[in-house]
Amino acid sequence: MTVVQSPEQAPEQPAGRRRVPAAMLALIGVLVALALANGLVDVSFFTLGQLRNTLLLAAPLALIAGAQTLCMLTGGIDLSVTMTATAVAYVVGSRAAAGDSTVTALLLGLVAALVIGFVNGLAIGLFGVNPLIMTLGMSAILTGVLTVGSQSFLGGATRMPQVVKTLGRGTFLGPLPWNLLLWALLAVGLVVLLRRTGLGRLIYAVGDNRRAARLAGVRVWQVETAVYVLAAVLGAFAGILIGGRSGAVDLQLASSLLLPSIAAAVIGGTSILGGVGGYGGTVLGALILTVLDTLLTRLSVGESLRELVQGGILLALAWAYVSSTRRATTRRRSG
Amino acid sequence: MTVTAPLVPQLPPPTRPHVRAIRLLRDEAWTGALVVLLAVLLIWQSTQVFRWGAFELDTLFVSTLPLVFLALAQTVVVIAGGIDLSVGAQMVLFNCVSGSLMLHAGLGTALLYAVVTIVLAMAAGVLTGWIVTVSGVPDIIVTLATSFVWVGVALWIMPEPAGGAPDSFRHIFIGSGTAFWPALLCIAVPLLLIWTPLRRSRMGLSIYALGSDPQAAFLAGVDARRARITAYAVAGLFTALAGLSTTAYTSGGQASLVVANTATLGAVAAVVLGGVALSGGVGGLLGPILAVWCLSLIPANLLTLGVDPSYGEVVRGVVIVLVVLGGSLLRRMGSRP
Repeated sequence: MTVVQSPEQAPEQPAGRRRVPAAMLALIGVLVALALANGLVDVSFFTLGQLRNTLLLAAPLALIAGAQTLCMLTGGIDLSVTMTATAVAYVVGSRAAAGDSTVTALLLGLVAALVIGFVNGLAIGLFGVNPLIMTLGMSAILTGVLTVGSQSFLGGATRMPQVVKTLGRGTFLGPLPWNLLLWALLAVGLVVLLRRTGLGRLIYAVGDNRRAARLAGVRVWQVETAVYVLAAVLGAFAGILIGGRSGAVDLQLASSLLLPSIAAAVIGGTSILGGVGGYGGTVLGALILTVLDTLLTRLSVGESLRELVQGGILLALAWAYVSSTRRATTRRRSG
Repeated sequence: MTVTAPLVPQLPPPTRPHVRAIRLLRDEAWTGALVVLLAVLLIWQSTQVFRWGAFELDTLFVSTLPLVFLALAQTVVVIAGGIDLSVGAQMVLFNCVSGSLMLHAGLGTALLYAVVTIVLAMAAGVLTGWIVTVSGVPDIIVTLATSFVWVGVALWIMPEPAGGAPDSFRHIFIGSGTAFWPALLCIAVPLLLIWTPLRRSRMGLSIYALGSDPQAAFLAGVDARRARITAYAVAGLFTALAGLSTTAYTSGGQASLVVANTATLGAVAAVVLGGVALSGGVGGLLGPILAVWCLSLIPANLLTLGVDPSYGEVVRGVVIVLVVLGGSLLRRMGSRP
């Protein structure tokens, strides 16, 4: 990309680098403002117990949003990630109830996620199926299989193993839940993957310009397969956390997180067109959405206003983001 | 004139009827395949169901009416090169609006309220299109956000399932007894009165041009903003019809995010199976209508086979993926010399 840049564009590059922290600062500002508003409504928000609750709610959303971020960075989207999470929770729960050991149950769940991610990735990367449609179809397939399965081969009682329950709602240290530890580990892994590894570079390259990446010798289909497998694995972890938190599994386990996960990534500055963004912003986005939700619950705002505010905030932040980076975007498109 | 004559490209010789027939067959091959598929599914169903007749057809056409309108709404936006994830939410909103307005109304007032609903829906479509064109935010995100907003408004109007519509109004959409032709008429009238003239007009051409190649359309002098906003407005019209037919079918309104999302995804599926390219600029409105009927017949037929109808969802997913997969493979083979 740098080679083809015209001279007058080159000096603007550092400005482009400085803009990312500025956006991050703005997001942190929004988060702090929302937290303060929460505190104003009820001072107990700043107690350790409430902090723990917020983190407990934020972790699964942030993991699913991480999956979404990975896919969006390549210019795709994963609408099946919440169904993957549900499927994994189902497999783990029913296998554990059927008497398998915890390790076997967890491994089987992970295998399910790997298969789902692999099928998604191959279809999108190798066969060029539109990601929106592929993952939509996968979501439909999983819904059907789980609906039937819950009455037959996955039927009977689902029981989450004790380890999973501890992971989902247990306390690791002080106010810190176990799921925060898992989330932190995965988050660090994701950030390192995106910032420091070759695969990370390739993900950005594919999302920025798929054709150019292919011509430069990137095996695009392998990158995309890796991304969708990773997304499914992140979904699997989220499913295990949610299943552990609630202790029971149902078909709607994670579906309510699908749109918020996209919203979290978008609020965090990841472009749905690919190539722009990162996991740090997504984490902030997920925290903002969670704190906002807590605030709305505290104000005992009705369901209707809650949806309105969520939609409004998503639109406003996306709009603000685009208009602040518009010059760079239009230049990239015309270039 | 004689000097410039050689420069004028030679007009093709007047097409003979069979050439025209072949061309029609080639251009409408997808729709034709869907007609065949629908016929196969219907015949299959008729061999499985005891005394198959008007009742089954009535069930098929009336229960799918909202989804047909929603698929049409999505199709118009997709043809213009966009996507609208808020069609389901708009349907829910205008279901609630019309359901709460029409409760205890007479036929005349109900029709007036229907017009009000349609005008509101088109305004909502214009607003969506305006935000998409002015903000520069990708349409997926804008419509994702507005889908929250519309469901929020719907919940504000109708916190619990309520509302209603006069029977005389309901019969316009669902017919009385097992008469299924009112449903078909409801689909045909807006198609003939609005879509056909629009498609043949300059604006219709602009919408197709915008979807097929925005840059070329811009260079050719197409007002992209107007074309996109028009597409969203027409989509709004169809979501209003979807909402009105839901009110007629369920005799009331319900504001539910789950209903909205399921409907949106169903509409996208129908668009894809209906032969409308997601990249824009290709396809018509007939394909998605047939696709909705095919997709709704699959679970019914599975039931008669003794398969759990929940697998219908699986079959639907597989069909959609295979259709897109086949399409992209064909395109790839076609682009190779």
